[in-house]
Amino acid sequence: MAPDLTVVTAIVTLPFVAAVLSPLLHRALGERTGYAGALVAAASFGLLLTQADSYGTVRASWIPALDVGIQFTVDGWGLLFALLASGIGVLVFVYSARYMRGEEGLARYYAALLAFMGSILGVALASDLVLIFLFWELTSVCSFLLIGHHTDDAESRYSARMAMLVTVGGGLCLLAGLLALSVAARGALGGVTFDLTAMLANEEAMRAALRESGLFVPALVLVVVAAAAKSAQVPLHFWLPNAMVAPTPVSAFLHSATMVKVGVYFVGRLRPLLMSPEWVLLVATLGLLTMTVGALLAVISTDIKELLAYSTASHLGLMVAGFGFDVVYGGEAGAFHLLNHALFKAPLFLVAGIVAHEAGSRDLDDLGGLWRDLPVTAVVAGIAALSMAGIPPFNGFYSKELLFEAAYEVAHEAGGLAWLYPAVATVASVFTVVYSLKFLAMFVGERRAPKAEIHRPPVALVAPPAVLAAAAAVVSVSPQLAVDVIVQGAIDATAVGEADLKIGLPTHLTPPVAMSAVAILGGAAAYPFEGRLGAVIERGVDAPVPVRPRGWYDWAVSTAEATSARFGPLVHTGVLRTYLTWVAATGSLLALAGFATTGAALGIDGLGVPTAVAVVLVTALLAALAVPAAPSHLVGVLTLSILGFMISIFFILASAPDLALTQLVVETLVLLIFLLVLQRLPSFYSDVRRFVLARDAGVSVLVGAMAFASVLLTAPAPGADPTDLATYYTEQAVPGGGGANIVNVILVDFRAFDTLGELMVVATAAIAILVLVMMRARGESVADRDADPVFEGDDSS
Amino acid sequence: MTTRIMQTTARVTVPIVLVLSIWLFLQGHNLPGGGFIGGVLTTTAFVLIYVAYDLEYLESEVLDREVDPGASVYDHRTVTAYRRALILGLAVVLGSGVAGIVVGDPFLTQTYVHLGGIPIYHDIELASALVFDLGVYLVVVGSVLTVVSVVSAE
Repeated sequence: MAPDLTVVTAIVTLPFVAAVLSPLLHRALGERTGYAGALVAAASFGLLLTQADSYGTVRASWIPALDVGIQFTVDGWGLLFALLASGIGVLVFVYSARYMRGEEGLARYYAALLAFMGSILGVALASDLVLIFLFWELTSVCSFLLIGHHTDDAESRYSARMAMLVTVGGGLCLLAGLLALSVAARGALGGVTFDLTAMLANEEAMRAALRESGLFVPALVLVVVAAAAKSAQVPLHFWLPNAMVAPTPVSAFLHSATMVKVGVYFVGRLRPLLMSPEWVLLVATLGLLTMTVGALLAVISTDIKELLAYSTASHLGLMVAGFGFDVVYGGEAGAFHLLNHALFKAPLFLVAGIVAHEAGSRDLDDLGGLWRDLPVTAVVAGIAALSMAGIPPFNGFYSKELLFEAAYEVAHEAGGLAWLYPAVATVASVFTVVYSLKFLAMFVGERRAPKAEIHRPPVALVAPPAVLAAAAAVVSVSPQLAVDVIVQGAIDATAVGEADLKIGLPTHLTPPVAMSAVAILGGAAAYPFEGRLGAVIERGVDAPVPVRPRGWYDWAVSTAEATSARFGPLVHTGVLRTYLTWVAATGSLLALAGFATTGAALGIDGLGVPTAVAVVLVTALLAALAVPAAPSHLVGVLTLSILGFMISIFFILASAPDLALTQLVVETLVLLIFLLVLQRLPSFYSDVRRFVLARDAGVSVLVGAMAFASVLLTAPAPGADPTDLATYYTEQAVPGGGGANIVNVILVDFRAFDTLGELMVVATAAIAILVLVMMRARGESVADRDADPVFEGDDSS
Repeated sequence: MTTRIMQTTARVTVPIVLVLSIWLFLQGHNLPGGGFIGGVLTTTAFVLIYVAYDLEYLESEVLDREVDPGASVYDHRTVTAYRRALILGLAVVLGSGVAGIVVGDPFLTQTYVHLGGIPIYHDIELASALVFDLGVYLVVVGSVLTVVSVVSAE
């Protein structure tokens, strides 16, 4: 049974509609807008559930010429992600309603959060590449707004901009990668299309077409870079901890459950399509590297949100690595961990919010023994943190075990350097255990001097993480249930070949089980030496610039700023002729470069010119040379007119009477207008600087060369058959337009709309000039700057 | 430029140019010409008057109206007339386009009829495109003359 287009569209558009209405909602409901948001999220969640057993694709046409459609696909993978986004969305909205009480800009906050949820649902369900790109970038824009919620805080602005630059920049890579895919689809599916479902259905043909066109590796790299930017993979992981300046519900929602997973989600989506040795090498290595780096940085974090942020990067690495491995366990690890991670990381963030709210500090050094004051929160944190550490039987253990199995199997088959995969995965897991224990430590042990009196958190703050922790507990107790209900469908959609997941606690010792044992025991043993460990890692982080991607980011941004500040005044002078120079020069250069890259040969030897035309054109050329050499305005105008009249004679010789007539009349008019104006102009020519002269000469030669090459390359060869268009107009002019003058019939009958547009331009120009002169007569000026930039003295005539 | 030679030449040529421009405008559908060319040529005739005499001449001598010497160029009656020609032209163009919609064709659809048995001309073709072209003519005349008169008055 196929899903219902109306319902699926409603799921995605509902949050956007609510976002548009949120200023009104906020006016009516005030602080309780969050509960309205929760209702919207719940509605999307409920509608998703009604579509749960109807996998399939629905489509409405959008841009038929390019085969772009509003196309949504419901399958296990999309459903899992969409359910997570809307389900956690409900809880985050409830939490926000309490947590954000008394904050400013709530209408904006809820609008952005709702639009954000809509875009995530869009990414999860859309299966048209253009639509996916659209929603993908929308998530970046919304997260920019949410991270920068405190607009008067410089750090907030800095972090929002950083997240925006990294994720939107990655999005541009995605666009290029998607275009490569659609180019390949032209060969594989027989036509231009952006239909991802069709591509996934014909993966063999797609891979062959990609390889054939040499686009396989570029497409793979571009897509992975985009996913890495979005999912905070090394070396683009640095924006995620900075994004923690956002309000805590946002951190929980965007940076653990949804947006950062978009990259992972898309990697899983394309896994069947792009699976290859290159994929394994790139994606698995990237994932494991991120897992390790993230875990190391989490160990040295002292701020609880920062610790969780690095931990998120590390776990995203785990998922990416899972999807990177080309064995069955890999896909299972990725899909299952997506669920598990959301279930334990979102409550951890919410717990961090409660701690910050109630204890007044987010510094791990200040916090200890909190279980006495926050018992429920402590239980929630306990379940979630042990799950994060991958301690059996908590849910994180199962998916991490799957990753170990995948890494081991790949290493076992490939041998050699591939043994690094399981080794790195184990080492990263050791640090995972260390930082999880470090997080838990704030609830146990001695009570430390709290900065503020610790209050009991209200129910609206505790309930959401408790619900999530309960869900995590259910998965922990009965993982097979979760697999059967939701995860198996996701695995089917992302797997290469058949995959049937059976999950449970290990019953006998296998190499992966041994890896888990090493990780847990190693982590527990290393925890007491956490301080010394941190010092070693610190030293690594403080090493010279190359290992600090954030330094590179700062350098790139400041360099770009400095360069554009220097470059801007050069181009943007406010003087019309500077713009003309730049536009003419760059336009000509680009066109010439385009011709050069196509390697088109100029057919100069085929230029048969009749004597009459040659005489006229040589005269025109001489007149053109005489124009800049003219000693006065009058001579200049007259020589320019010679040029114009010669061109109109050329039109007559080339049998274009209409053009000739127009040229003749316009030339006459221009000459007359010049004569009218000349009486008022000063009659001297000032000295011209050499540099300006050389620059102008260079630009004119460039423009001339461009025009020359364009005409030679684009005009049909002499004696060639008339084009289809020309034939059409010749045949249709009399019967269709009733006129024998084809040029005029085209102007007024066939392309009257163009003529109308041109008339608008002429009229607008006249009105603009009228207004400008009128303003000057009244003593107003367009800009406040009263210095007249025309008289800079460089080449004023 | 306001020399006697220039003025005498203008007196002779301006009427010829005006007649020529209207002729070019009317024959445009079948022979070289049309609204744009006709419009520019008419403008040329007016500019010729400006060059040979000055802005006020048209008003005071040709049309025999009072000229208020202190008034700015925008209140000038000829300039107002040019502006009106421009607006009228746009209206004619749009109106000829909308007329197509009224009879059920797409916007800007043109048609034509042949009228037979007319004295002297025998057979005349009437094209609705001529109306459109008239709009083009008016816009060109109106806008260029507005610009020329306003700028030259500066």
